Amino acid sequence: MTQMEYAKPRSFKELDGIFESAKGPLRFIAGGTNVVPDLRAGTISPRLLVDLSGLKEMAYIREVKGEIAIGALSTISDILASRVICDKAPLLFQAARHLGSPLTRNRATIGGNLADASPAADTAPSLLAMGAMVHTRRRRGKERTIPLDRFFLGPNKTILAKDEIITRITFAKPKDPSRGRYLKLGLRNAMTISVASLAVSLEPEGSSFGGARIGLGAVAPTPVRAYLVEKKLASGAMDPKNIEACAQLITKEISPISDIRASADYRKRVVAVLFQRAIQAAVNGGTP
Amino acid sequence: MVRKTYSTIGRTTRRKDGVSKVTGREIFASDVVLPQMLHARVLRSPYPHARVVSIATAEAEAMGAVCLTPSDCPAWLYNERQVSIPEKTYRDRTVLPETARHVGEGIAAVAAKTEALAEQALGQLAVTYEPLPSVFDPWEAMAPEAPRLYKDIFLGDVVLPIERNIACFREMREGEVEQGFRESDVVVEQEFRTGRVYHHQMETKGVVCRPEPDGGISVWPTAQSIHNVRQLLGRIFNIPLSKINVHRIPIGGSFGSSIQMNTCIAICAALALKAGRPVRLVLTREEDLYDHCKYPSLIRLKFGVKKDGAIVAGEMTTVVDIGAHNIQAYPLLGCMAGWFVSLYRMPHMHFQGTAVYTNKAPACAMQGYGNPQVSFAVESLIDVIAERLNMDPIDVRLKNYVGLGETFWGQGPTVRSVIRSCGVEEMLQKGKDLIGWESRNRPEARSGRFRRGIGVGRSFHTSGTGAPMSGEVIDYSTALVKFNEDGSVDCLTPLMCHGGGTLEALTKIVSEETGVPLSKVEISPADTRSTGYDVCTHATRGVYCGGASARRAAQQARGILLQFASRILEVNPEALKIRPDEDLGQGVIYLEGAKGKSITVGEVAKTAQIKSWGTAIAVVSHRQVNCPPCFVTNFIEVEVDTETGRIRPVRAVAAVDAGTVINPDLAAGQLEGGLCRGIGLALLEDTDYDPRSGALTCGGNITDCKIFTALEMPLTEDVATFFAETEEPSGPFGAKGVGEAANNCTAGAVANAVANALGLRFTDAPMLPEKVLARWTDYLREKRGA
Ligand SMILES: Cc1cc2nc3c(=O)[nH]c(=O)nc-3n(C[C@H](O)[C@H](O)[C@H](O)COP(=O)(O)OP(=O)(O)OC[C@H]3O[C@@H](n4cnc5c(N)ncnc54)[C@H](O)[C@@H]3O)c2cc1C
Repeated sequence: MTQMEYAKPRSFKELDGIFESAKGPLRFIAGGTNVVPDLRAGTISPRLLVDLSGLKEMAYIREVKGEIAIGALSTISDILASRVICDKAPLLFQAARHLGSPLTRNRATIGGNLADASPAADTAPSLLAMGAMVHTRRRRGKERTIPLDRFFLGPNKTILAKDEIITRITFAKPKDPSRGRYLKLGLRNAMTISVASLAVSLEPEGSSFGGARIGLGAVAPTPVRAYLVEKKLASGAMDPKNIEACAQLITKEISPISDIRASADYRKRVVAVLFQRAIQAAVNGGTP
Repeated sequence: MVRKTYSTIGRTTRRKDGVSKVTGREIFASDVVLPQMLHARVLRSPYPHARVVSIATAEAEAMGAVCLTPSDCPAWLYNERQVSIPEKTYRDRTVLPETARHVGEGIAAVAAKTEALAEQALGQLAVTYEPLPSVFDPWEAMAPEAPRLYKDIFLGDVVLPIERNIACFREMREGEVEQGFRESDVVVEQEFRTGRVYHHQMETKGVVCRPEPDGGISVWPTAQSIHNVRQLLGRIFNIPLSKINVHRIPIGGSFGSSIQMNTCIAICAALALKAGRPVRLVLTREEDLYDHCKYPSLIRLKFGVKKDGAIVAGEMTTVVDIGAHNIQAYPLLGCMAGWFVSLYRMPHMHFQGTAVYTNKAPACAMQGYGNPQVSFAVESLIDVIAERLNMDPIDVRLKNYVGLGETFWGQGPTVRSVIRSCGVEEMLQKGKDLIGWESRNRPEARSGRFRRGIGVGRSFHTSGTGAPMSGEVIDYSTALVKFNEDGSVDCLTPLMCHGGGTLEALTKIVSEETGVPLSKVEISPADTRSTGYDVCTHATRGVYCGGASARRAAQQARGILLQFASRILEVNPEALKIRPDEDLGQGVIYLEGAKGKSITVGEVAKTAQIKSWGTAIAVVSHRQVNCPPCFVTNFIEVEVDTETGRIRPVRAVAAVDAGTVINPDLAAGQLEGGLCRGIGLALLEDTDYDPRSGALTCGGNITDCKIFTALEMPLTEDVATFFAETEEPSGPFGAKGVGEAANNCTAGAVANAVANALGLRFTDAPMLPEKVLARWTDYLREKRGA
């Protein structure tokens, strides 16, 4: 570890001040569950560490007019403790339950999970499947809203500028919360990084799938939506034949890599399995 | 058989070290803080094989750091493990090497006022390396043109040239194996592999060393044997043992990772001696992962059997990839032969083992010392025999197992003894009922996505390495027991507890023997200057060997106490007995049937002090002349998800024949823990190297080097543990060991359960989901094609 400075702004104004005077590369830190291991491994070496955890106004979860908003500093434990998420967005609840261990969840923030941009980030597939938006703030209060499916650029790469922070994540309250399923496959049942993960959110209309959204993790350089599959699902009937055909298609829509956790081939095979299981469960509805 | 009843032995009690552990008040090596203490960090080689040409320390020293380089260290070669006799000890390393032989090998060290400063100083060391060609595969390493790790090393005091990177080779024969195979009706043969598992002990290795004004040194290490640490430091740094005090300090788990004197201890001691100040060195997890691992195995196994299932001949060939140092490969090969021949009778046998150096982190003992690896192969092949002969796997086992009255040689050819207690049959029968063996189907009867199967696995471990004659391994223990003036008892022993309750068991043994209630028997803090020698807490010997020495010391001290009591009570001491009285919190000495002829232990001890008769105290150094097998049996049911290849253990029965069980809840805990790591060995655990960089593919992080947790185990209500009703005549109150045994049979049972589920046998552990799915797909394709 090299020497670095540390700053902890208490307000956006203080943050702006830090931007003005900063020399050399800076790095934000929220819960630190990615940053600290990265510092130790030497994969990042910022001159200045900007601790966002003092920006208390970024820690909240609320529902306003059919929209759910989660402050970027909300921890995964906050999400699990939230009635709003549990009742209205159980798809995110399921994902949060799969992230790390209680110790990690107590520190890990949702903003950090997205900004870290791991292809395996656990909250990403569910947020993608709910069509989430990322709201950001740059120096001097410049704000923008980015659809999550345009947010990730590659492994650990996002669209964020150097002075841009995530302030909150929003998504429309799912019409039928019971139609969401998040499945994760790893080498063990908990405290594991995904070999593959998948979230589906259905809005069935009569005997068709209607609006179906699918988010995938660990099967491409970033978390991704499976648009082709979504289209095919929607255009066909809600029957096993269509599901089977979509399961075939999904393996074509992804571009997994081989790494220490699994080969690309294996990832393709199990994504199809996860897809079928998740769709089946979502069709059946009910609490997971 | 009717078990004896004891007052303390076999009772479930609250652990004496429980409160300090759960409240965080226990002091481990990393918690030791001394005035003026410096913090050390070690510079580690990024190359798998490189000569260290030079190390420039000026800049680090300018920062105030004390630097240690190979030229500061004694040239004497050492072996960190001190359990073998000197002539059988392979010495190939120095405190800091001039040639790094694996990524992560320490080549220099610094000590500074804070850990952060030490870390910075480390970054200022300028090292010039000359990278050398490296080799990672044991077969490639044995090729004549392969890069050589060593030209020669020392075996005892003799120079030993190393050819083709072969660290050592052992061969053993009994009978005429070729003839045995010719006489067999069926011959089965297969190759088996197990992974290079990391110990994953919770506490990373650490140590604090303080140089003393008299030229000596005090040490607080993570260690399983304080005496071996002292002896090695004395030899390396040429300090009289009387000036080296190594303190026993609780260890945060071991699994065998500290059987040897950890190399960080020698580095820290050298730094402390150079700095003239106390130094603390605690390894990071990454450093620890590069420090040691379990011996991986590659075993070719062959059995010849008669039609009735009787084994006639067995042959095992193994190549062990030991990594960059030969810590204990020679005894390992002897033990592997022992594990192989002692599970089932085989009139004709042949064993060949080769240990090979490669540029990887060195392998050392880990729970079972080659036994889980060998039993995985043996138990798998026994099931193959059953399949071939169309016999029940349990019948094949019952027909061939080595049992009561038979000789076995668990810990190698020089450690032979006769079996005098055996619960093999009882465990198989009872376990069979508990798991519902009769309902076990053939794989062809199964269909659908989830396939369940039941498997059985047997094994054993030796309780220590004792034998009638002294052989290649040292084995004895020393204990002191004394009665205090209030009737309480101190027991002093250098024996170590790894968390499994070894010292707890000793308090029960001493309580039982002295008749003093358990609440008044304590284990004293121990260090090397105040205790006699104890070889090590390893080889499942803690209770059986260490406990036996404590019992003998207690017996002698009790004899002295009764002499004192006889003077007071005017009764012949031989006629007196002692029983614990929990209400009084005292042992009560009494004459059976005679009212009034009784007195508490406290009164006697106090009287003896006031009248200056002396203290009832005894020290005993004792060797067990046996190393009875503690047999184990697992029945495991698994469920294979044929769509993802994931294998889930759903139910298990784990049984041990530990003789008299001293701590029942802790022994059951050992069975459950052993089951967990055994399932891990079968399904998950391994470490792998990138052949281009020589680095671990997990990077030294446990993110990608996992072990199973409670969440992957069967639910607690689906795990049954039980103890065979046996008593070992040579053990303290009939006790044998448990620790390593608990783990030895599990991987074999899992493999057999998977084979029963799928009709497909996996012989290479770990059976990762991806491998399972690929093979299953091929298997289905072949079946359809056929
Ligand atoms: C033991 C362990 C287990 C883990 N298991 C999982 C798991 O199962 N699944 C999973 O998905 N992850 C896992 N992680 C990774 C990590 O916990 C998550 O990614 C977590 O959500 C990161 O949040 P954080 O607040 O700790 O981020 P930090 O480490 O503080 O930051 C992560 C990155 O995000 C940036 N950042 C943080 N907040 C903001 C913001 N508001 N705006 C802009 N940039 C920001 C930082 O600069 C940094 O680049 C695990 C980590 C550990 C240590």
